[in-house]
Amino acid sequence: MKTINKYKLFEPTWCPGCGNYGILNALMRSALELNLEPHKIVIVSGIGCSGRINNYFKCYGIHGTHGRPLPIASGVKLANPELSVFAVSGDGDAYSIGMSHFLHTVRRNPDIVYLVVNNQVFALTRGQASPTSNLGFISVSTPYGTKEYPIDGIKLALAAGGTFIARGFSGNIPQLVRLIKKAIKHRGFSFIDILSPCRVHNKVQDYNWYRKNIINLDEDPSYDFGNKQKAWERINTFEKIPTGLIYVEEKPCWEDLILGKEKAMSHLDLKPEKYDYNPLLKEFY
Amino acid sequence: MVKKDLSIMISGRAGDGILFTGNLLAKIFKRKGLEVFTFRDFPSNIRGEPTAYTIRASEEKIFGPSQEIDILAAFDCESVLRHLNKVNYNGFVICDSSEQIKIDSTLKKKRKIFNIPIKRLARESFGREIFKNVIILGVLSHFLRLEFNLISKIIEETFLQKKGREIVEKNLKGLNLGKNEAKKLIKEIYQITLPTKKDKNRLLITGDEAMALGALIAGCRFFSGYPICPASEIMEWLARKLPAYNGVVVQTEDEIAAIHMVFGASYAGVRAMTATSGPGFSLMSEGLSLAGMTEIPIVIAYVQRVGPSTGMPTKNEQGDLLQSIFSGHGDFPSIVISPATIEDCFYLTGEAFNFADKFQCPVIILTEQLYGQNYQTVKEFDFTKIKIDRGKLIKSENLIKDKPFLRYKITKDGISPRVIPSLERGIHMVEGNEHEETGYRNETPLIKEKMTQKRMKKLETALNYLPKPIFSGNEKAEIGIIGFGSTFGPIQETKKILIEKGLQTQTMHLRTLWPLQIEILKKFINSKKIVFVIEYNFSGQLYFLLRQLVKPSIELKNIRKFNSEPFSKYELVEIIEREINP
Repeated sequence: MKTINKYKLFEPTWCPGCGNYGILNALMRSALELNLEPHKIVIVSGIGCSGRINNYFKCYGIHGTHGRPLPIASGVKLANPELSVFAVSGDGDAYSIGMSHFLHTVRRNPDIVYLVVNNQVFALTRGQASPTSNLGFISVSTPYGTKEYPIDGIKLALAAGGTFIARGFSGNIPQLVRLIKKAIKHRGFSFIDILSPCRVHNKVQDYNWYRKNIINLDEDPSYDFGNKQKAWERINTFEKIPTGLIYVEEKPCWEDLILGKEKAMSHLDLKPEKYDYNPLLKEFY
Repeated sequence: MVKKDLSIMISGRAGDGILFTGNLLAKIFKRKGLEVFTFRDFPSNIRGEPTAYTIRASEEKIFGPSQEIDILAAFDCESVLRHLNKVNYNGFVICDSSEQIKIDSTLKKKRKIFNIPIKRLARESFGREIFKNVIILGVLSHFLRLEFNLISKIIEETFLQKKGREIVEKNLKGLNLGKNEAKKLIKEIYQITLPTKKDKNRLLITGDEAMALGALIAGCRFFSGYPICPASEIMEWLARKLPAYNGVVVQTEDEIAAIHMVFGASYAGVRAMTATSGPGFSLMSEGLSLAGMTEIPIVIAYVQRVGPSTGMPTKNEQGDLLQSIFSGHGDFPSIVISPATIEDCFYLTGEAFNFADKFQCPVIILTEQLYGQNYQTVKEFDFTKIKIDRGKLIKSENLIKDKPFLRYKITKDGISPRVIPSLERGIHMVEGNEHEETGYRNETPLIKEKMTQKRMKKLETALNYLPKPIFSGNEKAEIGIIGFGSTFGPIQETKKILIEKGLQTQTMHLRTLWPLQIEILKKFINSKKIVFVIEYNFSGQLYFLLRQLVKPSIELKNIRKFNSEPFSKYELVEIIEREINP
């Protein structure tokens, strides 16, 4: 089957116009173009609207706890590096409750693709402000506007030693497919922050707002995504939000550093007679 | 003088190197064929505060420390004053004469005090005070007539590879120095002789090490954890050993990550474990609930310390019994097993992985600091006793083409088939929301009810497989004693003393704490006239469980201690006697 139908499961029930539709579609197209078999894919999702993705994408799926898809995905990847492991979070999942896991996973650099569906609001819980909401954003939890400055996952990832940092926009699917495919091919932690309008709970940042406020680095031939200094300068230039490939670096991924020589741990024969355990006792005599 | 059961306390300040001296001494006694149990009484700081390490050596099997000291070897006079009341009236005190110490004769009783300039000798001979540790060992070697060759062999084993020949020689020199100095003061009449037995097929091991070893042999190849007293040693031991067996240890950013990483690894097919203590376990509870809901096997070694909050991180308590059982939101099955002895730490951990795989739920190995961080001599572990049973983990050929794999199939025993992800026909969903048999989300009332029943059914199924209690004593006795974990030693010794006093008892030591073995408990309790429930906590958590769930026909007497110290030899005896003959 050479269509994305082989990944289709249930009909999505996201709200009409939700950015998640585009992201799901981009992920299916990327998987198809790279020939990933559903049974070799594990998608670990967090809690939030984006977490529903497992109901719509046919593969091995885990819909776990709020903020924890990265530790779960890390465990899966270390256990069996032959699997293509994806983690999907919202901005609340990634940058609020799961912030610590986000930074530590970035620095460990496992070969996982991490998609953060960033709609700058807690949508599933009906519209509270999130850590990426702009200052002054009015929501049910911030009726007088947020009094907190937003954080930017891209900057955090760069500071934490990220090896693949990109930003997509759910209104630009061709670019998103290109980014996800590169992310899958990148050996290391591939992080894509995806700007994704929530039409119900964030009336400020809608598709038009994003189209006006983003620039596409992929279209700028002078931009060098291999230069960390330049990347840092670029993401700190405030006139518009940069999208596209922001920074890429090759360095050994976590599995290369931590795993033994044998095949995946998940398929080891554990029968005690297979191993020489007796040397372990020496220190206790 | 021959001593068949001897306790030596080495005391000083944190940073003095007391652990070194004590561990060598423990090893010496072990090689002499004696039964050993160590007792760390350390503060939770690195340097400065008073610490004590007691090594008990006995001709007969022992299961815990003694709270009575025969020899106190102290590096400073404050230690002498602090611990003198624990020293037997006709016991001995070796203290550093660099500090002038005056002990009132009413306090001193008949205890004999030897003043030896340990620190001065170390400074003069080596220029470094740290050698006081081996000098005091030299003093003790004369005092206890320990074979020089045996000690020098152990010193060589300890230092030659790690630190080189020069350090070995220096230590041997220090050993001789201490020995010669002791000869001048400790005359033959004071010398103590310990029995010697054959040291064959025995180990000197801590509970933490025994659990780590048990996990490895049981096929655990993935460990993630966060450092915490008194469980870190499990991670540290596995970090040294697992790589050679193609395994991995990850030190995570917190306990939440630790349990979720174990969850992910176990889902993907590896036998995986984490280890923690009270504060860390509190953080793990959301992961516990997830594993319960999604029926992913996980193993947690839970080494209790004194709570609440940071409490006393290096001390012993059983105050987390109820947290270990009822932690996590919602109804889900989890199994709590509890090693009766340090030896049991190995075997129960080996079993824990089978329970986790078979019943697809969290399995908690609940123990305490007293076992986790102290050494005991045990019979060499029989690795062939560890069998690997992965339960209903099914292979590709058992999966049917074009039919959805029912990962959460409702079965009689509540246990559903499981696959390792990567099988074409095994695709399924692991869903923290309520789900139907395929694993996909379904929040209808009927499904919720059926799936809850299915999950909880596994506890009933598990009940027959879980570790049985250890019974000892006279079956016909009218007095019963129930305990779990580190009360084993005191209860066994109490039973012995009571027999000497003509009182028959039968003891029951629980090794499965959840699900509670109600029928076995009922039978035991109802066969007695009086039953004592012994535990180290204020609220009587085991007593609470037994009263609520076993509903015994007789009144249970709850004996609780919660000052962080274990029961001393006669403490329980006195309380029990008082209850019986008021």
